[in-house]
Amino acid sequence: MKGKLGVLVACLSLLGSGAGLVAHHSFSTEYDGAKTFKLTGAVSKVEWTNPHVRFYVDVVEGGKTETWNMELASPSALARNGWTSRTLKVGDKVTVEGYAAKVAPNRGNARSVITADGRSLFGGAADDNAPGGGNQ
Amino acid sequence: MRRVFVVAGILALALPLLAQQAPPAGGQRQPGREAQGPLGTVGALGQEVRRAPTPTGPTPRLPDGTVDLNGLWNGGGPVNSIAQGLPKGETLPLLPKSKEIMADRATRETDDPHLWCMPMGVPRSTPYPFRFVQNYTHKAPTHMFIVHEGNIHSFRQIFMDGRKHPPELDPTWFGHSIGWFDNKDTLVIDSVGFNDKFWFDRQGTPHTEQLHTIERWTRVNEGTLRNEVTIDDPGAFSRAFVTTWTARLAAPGDEIMEYICQENNQYGIAGGHQNPFAK
Repeated sequence: MKGKLGVLVACLSLLGSGAGLVAHHSFSTEYDGAKTFKLTGAVSKVEWTNPHVRFYVDVVEGGKTETWNMELASPSALARNGWTSRTLKVGDKVTVEGYAAKVAPNRGNARSVITADGRSLFGGAADDNAPGGGNQ
Repeated sequence: MRRVFVVAGILALALPLLAQQAPPAGGQRQPGREAQGPLGTVGALGQEVRRAPTPTGPTPRLPDGTVDLNGLWNGGGPVNSIAQGLPKGETLPLLPKSKEIMADRATRETDDPHLWCMPMGVPRSTPYPFRFVQNYTHKAPTHMFIVHEGNIHSFRQIFMDGRKHPPELDPTWFGHSIGWFDNKDTLVIDSVGFNDKFWFDRQGTPHTEQLHTIERWTRVNEGTLRNEVTIDDPGAFSRAFVTTWTARLAAPGDEIMEYICQENNQYGIAGGHQNPFAK
């Protein structure tokens, strides 16, 4: 009962907050909601561009480097949540979880970005994990 | 027992909100929120903008008593299905030809021009805010502009000087708009001259170049803007109909940001889809 109530309250708080959940681009035409990935590597490029911010992660496996192209929300949506083009920097070590592309290799829709020092980026608002903040 | 009342109360509050997202009848594709996967929401990380509660103070007015539409607004039109704005129990009066077009578009939903950085047309909404610009001289309003952040960093121009629509127009994405205030409470925008390229929504609901829209924008209180849109298009629908939408005032301090969609649109690559405008 308590759990169900919690779910209802969580749903309501989301609705009441007016959180904008509709993205510009339809996810299901591009990414596979059942095909997840988790990888760790170094950020080699950040594109703070429309319609989606992208960052590229060099993943080394078996002595071979593969670059993954990761998709985030639009710059304006991220900025409204307190993130900036300086949140993620070239050279940062990150662990990324997300949904893989339906067709193209090494492309992902990121759902979680964790830095080497344990900060979680881009999920929720930047000041959620204050003090220290996530938008450094 | 008390808990039952609490749950019932929550449901009573929640269901009307959820109903706004409910899919329309008729076996169309599922509109609404993005689905959930093993990692939670399947959608772009960071797109879920947390919004401040909507203010409910009195409707602001200009010195002459006309409603003041100033502010940054979110919503106000269809995204997933224009049918979601119909009165309860109504369905879209689609002509057989329009049903065929929708069935075809259901097989190629990635051809939606909006996905390829084309304008959304009228009255479609986007996940991005817009702003009314009320332009006065010392005599009267001359023009109004609706400045849209997306899609695609575009504007609509509304002539407020009493002119009529030209008899012949070259079709455009936003058409030719004339406007006036109804009793100083409601901005009425009458538009014709649209092209038939944009889709009303993600369902691919079509229209033709005969489209005539009449938007009635009413700021019902400080933070809420109602848009009642009459859609009249004898080329696509058997009769005119009205859809109603709500826009909410954005948080204080929020402003239009740059949204140049064409800058780095990689849509299609991950899913293997071709740009319909490049075919």
